[in-house]
Order: sequence, then structure tokens, then C-alpha cells
Amino acid sequence: MTDAITATADDRWYQRAVFYEVLVRGFYDANNDGTGDLKGITQRLDHIQWLGADCLWLLPFYQSPLRDGGYDISDFFSILPEYGDLADAVELIGECHRRGLRIIADMVMNHTSDAHSWFQESRQDRANPKADWYVWSDDDTRYPDARIIFVDTERSNWSWDPVRQQYYWHRFFSHQPDLNYDNPEVQQAMLDVVRFWLDLGLDGFRLDAVPYLYERDGTNGENLAETHEFLKRLRKEIDASHPGTVMLAEANQWPADVVDYYGDGDECHMCFHFPLMPRMFMAVRREQRYPITEILAQTPAIPDGCQWGIFLRNHDELTLEMVTDDERDYMYNEYAKDPRMKRNVGISRRLAPLVDNNRAVAELLHALLFSLPGSPVLYYGDEIGMGDNIYLGDRDGVRTPMQWTPDRNAGFSKADFAQLYLPPLMDPVYGYQAVNVEAGQRDPGSFLHWMQRVLQVRRQHGDVLGMGSLEVLSAENPSVLAFLRQYEERTVLCVNNLSRFAQPVELQLGRFAAKAPIELFGRVPFPAVGDLPYLLTLAGHGFYWFELADLPSVSQ
Amino acid sequence: MTGEIANWGELVPLLASWLPRQRWYSGQAEPASLEIIDHEIVGNGFPALARLVVRADDSHYQVVVGLRGRDERPEFLRGQDQAVIGEFTIDAGEAIAYDAVFDVDLALVILGMVAPGEKAERVRLMGAEQSNSSLVYDERVILKLFRRVQPGHNPEVEVTEALGAQGFTSVAAPLATLRAGDFDLAILQPFLAGASEGWSLALTSLRDLFGMHDTQSVPAITFDAPPPSAVADPAQAGGDFSGEAARLGAVTAGMHVALAEAFGRQRVDPKVWATSIARQLEAVGPLDVDKDAALAILDRLAEADPGPAIRVHGDYHLGQVVRTDTGWYVLDFEGEPARTLEERRSPTSPLKDVAGMLRSFHYASAVARTERDGEELDELASAWERRNCDAFLRGYMRVAVAGGVLPADEEDVHAVLAAFELEKAIYELGYERAYRPDWEAIPLAALRRLTS
Repeated sequence: MTDAITATADDRWYQRAVFYEVLVRGFYDANNDGTGDLKGITQRLDHIQWLGADCLWLLPFYQSPLRDGGYDISDFFSILPEYGDLADAVELIGECHRRGLRIIADMVMNHTSDAHSWFQESRQDRANPKADWYVWSDDDTRYPDARIIFVDTERSNWSWDPVRQQYYWHRFFSHQPDLNYDNPEVQQAMLDVVRFWLDLGLDGFRLDAVPYLYERDGTNGENLAETHEFLKRLRKEIDASHPGTVMLAEANQWPADVVDYYGDGDECHMCFHFPLMPRMFMAVRREQRYPITEILAQTPAIPDGCQWGIFLRNHDELTLEMVTDDERDYMYNEYAKDPRMKRNVGISRRLAPLVDNNRAVAELLHALLFSLPGSPVLYYGDEIGMGDNIYLGDRDGVRTPMQWTPDRNAGFSKADFAQLYLPPLMDPVYGYQAVNVEAGQRDPGSFLHWMQRVLQVRRQHGDVLGMGSLEVLSAENPSVLAFLRQYEERTVLCVNNLSRFAQPVELQLGRFAAKAPIELFGRVPFPAVGDLPYLLTLAGHGFYWFELADLPSVSQ
Repeated sequence: MTGEIANWGELVPLLASWLPRQRWYSGQAEPASLEIIDHEIVGNGFPALARLVVRADDSHYQVVVGLRGRDERPEFLRGQDQAVIGEFTIDAGEAIAYDAVFDVDLALVILGMVAPGEKAERVRLMGAEQSNSSLVYDERVILKLFRRVQPGHNPEVEVTEALGAQGFTSVAAPLATLRAGDFDLAILQPFLAGASEGWSLALTSLRDLFGMHDTQSVPAITFDAPPPSAVADPAQAGGDFSGEAARLGAVTAGMHVALAEAFGRQRVDPKVWATSIARQLEAVGPLDVDKDAALAILDRLAEADPGPAIRVHGDYHLGQVVRTDTGWYVLDFEGEPARTLEERRSPTSPLKDVAGMLRSFHYASAVARTERDGEELDELASAWERRNCDAFLRGYMRVAVAGGVLPADEEDVHAVLAAFELEKAIYELGYERAYRPDWEAIPLAALRRLTS
């Protein structure tokens, strides 16, 4: 098999990659049953490749009763039949690799569905072979310091099982019992699951809910040493058997705590930087940089070979666990005036409606996403400015079908409308007749084309934007965020205007005297840096990316 | 390499004609007498640095003289005629003498004089202030060179040292200082990278608010289901400043508590304050303010429990505070340069600083207001001011009450505060009439509001 990926083996590919998050259910329906499937993704890889993403991230596609969007897995070794079968998965992985794309998938380590055969066996009695695979107790008051994550639906982390006549432990929904990692058989079973999928060709996993693997008395059950030990073991095994695999941790914690998941470069390769995301929105709303620079200042250095995953939106709510109470009130106030938009401790909106469909703001936020330290993660549909449907239950509002064309069912499926897993958007602003991939392709000035272009530029400077150091520059104007990215001999200067009004800024670039800023989109040379502070003027929500290059010699 | 220069005398007449061209010179004309009372020389040959303290008539100044060969008139002096002191001859040859802060090489020498062992690669001169020159090294440390000096401790040195010792973190505590004889000559502090003045943040917030009004004030065509149109409201604006204002209030109170701990609390008779303000009130015409109402404020002050008198900032407004990634910092404890050190040091009510900041919120809202037309913005500007003054006071009171720097009774707090706001507005009116008549409406509006 000619495999573009193994041909260009690069174990640190994830440091320069742009990720594209796909909801299998919502991307493309190849068999016309109203639900997206793996074959559908295979058929639509052209779009992702054209856009310029490097790696797909698939949300869970495993066998599941779907009481939590597939995060309640009832069999790790088989595909949810609506999505296809193992052969479809192998075909998709192969087709990605043939195109030079990588593909990772969600993996839930912490818990299973209560429909999983492991749990069904475990609950039968207290003596069966899997009796100890979950966390059982006669008492529902243990671990009182562990917070309840889904406060809207759950009242306790313990639930009563009438069969076994005991309580079982669950950090998430009551139908998702936590696996007992103190049991070596459980550890081995999960390592087998991981190895199975790597053998099929997956390039890595986004590890769901990793902080909660263990429980210990007198702790809040998050970030325990035992959890880190297990992750290190997992890393060691896959490094040995499948080098170039990425482990991307979902640890919704403060950056100072999250860095523990990198270990000494021997644990997870990537972690999401959760607090940065709401701060980017807040900075634009406040028209000042401090929400961003504060969190960057609090973000510790990470070991060599590690990388942050950064994002504007994803399939979950805008996570507000990581902001202070003041800021949470502020975010609610600004972005979720309708109480239905509030979910758990976050906000369920897509990017475009969050910024009042303001193209300049959407471009600015993506410019920040593509230039701040970390590998950007895009969410399907945001590249065309899709909207959301806040009247759908739970988090479905941001999981409506991808809008491909203005045709029936948004070109997503040829099934009857009534058969669709969720209705596509049909409102006059975000509906599929106005917002779709085909229209974006035909319109050279569309946001979609802008996204493709900015990703081209990002790819050209992938080393410095992906792996470069960060230095925030002083600017008296609080609406301007200017920073340097430096990698080896290369320096990129990024200047962002967070205000809707035009703004000036004077930057102290003295140490770059006699260098010339070259604008990266048009390669236009700007006046050379001199002795005086470097003056730039920016349009409202405007931004610049410059390479600081040596002055060309005067003679031709 | 400390050296001596034989023919000092030749420099004296040059300095006498050079000094009056400097912003920080306080006299009106050339000094009748000028004497070098302290000197230190670094370097044999060119470039050389001579750090001097001179007495010109009754005032003292620090001059840092750079010396380079006359033939190699340095590039950095081009277009900086006010920096050139003159030409004279020393052992090394014919020299041009100039203000050394413009000379990158000598600026690094100055750093070494203040903080031996401290090294830097780059230096830049920040805009000249009225009483000092600031040099920023590597965007990392800032050296404030006091130009007008007085015998005794410079308040900037004295207060930042004391606040740092108290563990108050919202101040750039000194890393090193230079003192010669009776004079504090320079202070080296961490440079607050990424800082913005409170004033520019406040204007950013106001422009955002007015911009919100611009986009919402035009009635749109309505279709079947008109979208609910939000009315511009400071609480709903994206650029709402009240969170910042509340945190600034808390920092201000923390500063006062630390100042009280460091310099002590004193008891005062509020009648002294009332009498002083009443004297200032005499300069205000009867058409500008309701005098009876103003005197009633002072009567109330005279009867109040004033709370302790402490060392205060003395010149406190949004231009003296900066926001950084780690929150608010307070700058510039030199007080008003026009006053004597004695006056600047004397204890008074911390509510004097609070009044200064409240007046600054009014100024910000009024200045941003002048950037735009449209009477309906007046209401919005007032709403912004009220919201942020309230937030500032809320943040302030929470910390200050517990810290024991206020009168026990809240009524007394408001009585004292109103009196100092009155005093500040009286001062502003005099200042604006003398220097910026276009702005007199701002303190006038405040005076009328305070006395209505």
C-alpha cells in the first residue's frame, strides 16, 4: 500500500498540525438513512483536504446506547451500526493516509456505558470474575470532596444498583459507571482496546475525561498521582509499538495543573488549553488584551515535544469551569442572554452566532487561533460560519447536519427529512440555503475561501507558528495584542486589534533594528524597523502577521 | 574609573545658560548663581560621564553630562539641540558636553552607577517628565533619574520602599537606589511590561459604550418578529469597566492600609481641613457654585469623625495607575511637584485619594464624551461614571473598612469624601481656567452636582 503518512514519518507531526473535529453522525450520510456515517466521511475527505487541515478527530463511533452522544461506550471493539462497520473504519483510515491526512478518535478511558457487558457481568453479584472492574460500595458517602460535574442532571456521584444491591461510582452520568483502575485487569483490558485501534491504523486518541481515572479518600479525585502513572504506562507501550501516535488529553483544569499531564515529556503529547478559549472571546468583547495576556502569563512552559491543543469552539459547551465567578457571570451576560443557551456550566453556541455573525471578528479570532502557541482544532461547519439551534435538547444545538449544498437536507442526506437525526438549520441567516459549502466554494470572497487561504499561510510557517516561543510585546494601547513567535532563526510578529474601531500602536522593536517586517499574506515589505518605536495602524478587528526578515541589499 | 577634570569652572556658565531650556527647570530665567555641589566622574577620555548636583539659585538639580570629542559630534544629538550643553576643553581634548541620557553607551554606565553589576543590552529614553528622566533597559527595568532634587528622601523612593516592605505587591518596589549626600538621585524599578494606563482603558470602555449606542440608536424596519433591541447600557456593554474599577478600588484600599502601617495613623481635627477648603472656595465666584451649599458640606466635614490621617498618594487619578497581566499597579508617588516635600509628606485622609479617583472617572467620561456629538450620550456618560464610581467604592470599602483607615460611621465617610471631592473640583476649576478654558465645564458640572 502506498501510504503518504509512513512515507513522511515524522513523530512530532502534531506540533504543526491543524486538527478538524468531525461528528460522524453529522458530517455526511452515505447510505441515506438520515444519519451520517464513516463512509460519508470518506466520501467527503476532499473538502477537508482542500481546506488544509492535517488531521481528523472523530467523535466516538463505538457501539453505544447513545445516551451521552456515544461517550457511553458499550463495546470498544465494534462500530455503532448506524455509522458502518470495522471495514468502513479501515477504509476511512486508509483513505486519510493515502491523502497525507492523519486521523485520531475519541477514546473514553474513565468509564463505560452501563450496557457494556463488563458492567452487566460486574453487577450480577460480588464474586464474579469482573466483580471488581467497577467502583462498588455499600456506602454512598465516600469521596465527598469529588465535585459533581453534570450538576444539571446528577445529584450524587454514587447511584444504587438494585441488582447487586450496592452503590456504584460515576463522575459523569449515572448510566456511565467508572472503571476501577486499581484492578490490573482493567488496566490491561484498556491497553488492549488502545492497541486494537492503533493496529487498525489510527494515529492517536483524544482521551476523554482523563483526570478522573482513580478515586482516593480525602481528595477531590482529580489529577491523582496514580492517574499520571497509568497514562505514563500507556505512553510507554504505544511509543514502543506505534511510534508517532498522539495522546491528546481532555483535562479541563487550570494550565498549571494541566501541564502535569505532559509529565516530563513522557505522558500525553497534547493537552487542550481550556481557559484560553473563553478568554479570547472575552478580550474581543472588552476590546482589550488582558483576558488573553493574563492567561498566557499563567501558562507554564511545557516539555520538549509537547503541544497545546487550542480551539474556539467544539462539540461541547463553551467551557466556563475555568473562569472565575466574576468572569463566568460576565460571559453568561455577554454571550448567553437566553437562559436556554446555558448548559451545565457553559454555553452551547457555535462560533458565528457567538460573534453576532460578524465576519471581521470571526477572522480575527481565527487569526489568534492560528498564531497563538498550540495546534488549532477546528469544529466542522465553523469554516462556513454555520449557526446553531438553541431549541434542540442537551448539546444537540451545535450538532446539526453539515450544510453542503442548498439542496434537500442541506445536501447532507437523501433520506426523507423526517428521518434525519436532527433537522438542518433553516433560518434565514444561518439556514442551509444561505450557508453551505457549495456557496462558499463558488464565492471567491467567502469566509470559507478566507479560511483556506489563512490555513495555507499557517502551513507555510508551520514551524514557527506551531513550535515557536511566545513573547507578548508591550503596547500602551490596551486594545492591541502584539506578540512574537520565534523558532530557530525565524521570527514572526503578530499584531491584533481587539477593538471594532481602528487603532494605532507603537511597538518597541529596537532589537530588530534594520529588519524589515514582511506581511505574510501578500509578502509586502513594510518600512524597516528604525530607532523610533515602530508605528502600525490597524483597521477595526484587523490583524497583521509579519515575518521579520533581513533587509534586502539596496543594489539590485 | 573615577577621575577628575581640572577645569570645572568652564562648565558652570554653559550649564547656567543650558538649564533654563530644560522642562524640569523650575526657574523663569537663567540662575543668578550656579554652583556644582557634588560630582562623580566615570571614564578617562571619551566618552566620559560626569554626574553632577548643582545648586541654581535656591533649587537643586541633577545633571548627567556626557563628554565626547568635539570632532565626532555624535549622531544621537542630531535634532536634539536642547540636549547640547556646549563645548569645552578637558585633558582628553576638545569636548562637546551634552545631556548623557541621550547617549546609549553612557545610559548603560548610569545603570552601572545605580546598580553595580546590573547589565543590559538595550536602552531607550521614555518621554521626559516634569521632574525626572526615565530610561528603560531591555524592557525589563526602568531607571528614574530625578532631575529636580531636594534635600531629604524623595517620596517615590521613600514610599515604594515602604510599600514593598509592607508586602504590598501592586507597586514597583525599588531594585536599587542612588543617593549622594542629602539627595536621592535615582531609583531602579522593574519595568511593568505590557501595562496600559487606567486612563486609556477607561476611554476604551467608554468608546465601546458609545459605539454600542451608535449601532442601536437607529430604529430598523421591523418584520413579523422584531428582534428585541437592547438599549445601550454600561452594564450590558462588552467593554464594561466595572470589574476593573472594583479591583482598582481594592488595590487602592490595600495601598492605604499598607501606607498606614508603614507611616502610622494620626488623629486630626477635621476643622483644619474644612478651614483650608473654605479658603480655597473663596476663589470661586458665586455664579459657579452655590456657596451656601458648599459651606454646608464643609460644616458637615467639621463635625465628622474624620478617621485616621495617613500618608497618601497625593496625586491619585487614572493616569497614575496601570493595568498589567497581574492586575493594577500604582505609579508615581512623588506627589504634586509644585508642593514642598513637607506638604507632600503630611498625613491626610485616604479619602482624598479616593476623591481624586472619583473625579478622574468623571473626567474620563466627559473627555470621551467630547469625542462625539449627540446630546443623548450625556445620559450614557453619566451612567458609565456612576456605575464605575460605585464599583470602585465597593471594591475600596470592602478592604479599607477591615484595614482601619476610614471613619467608623459610613455617613462620616461620605461627608469627608464629599468635602474632598469639592476641594478637588475647586482646584480643577482654577487649573482649567488658567490653562485649558475649553475644559472648565467639567469641574463646573462637578461643583454644581456636589452642591445640588
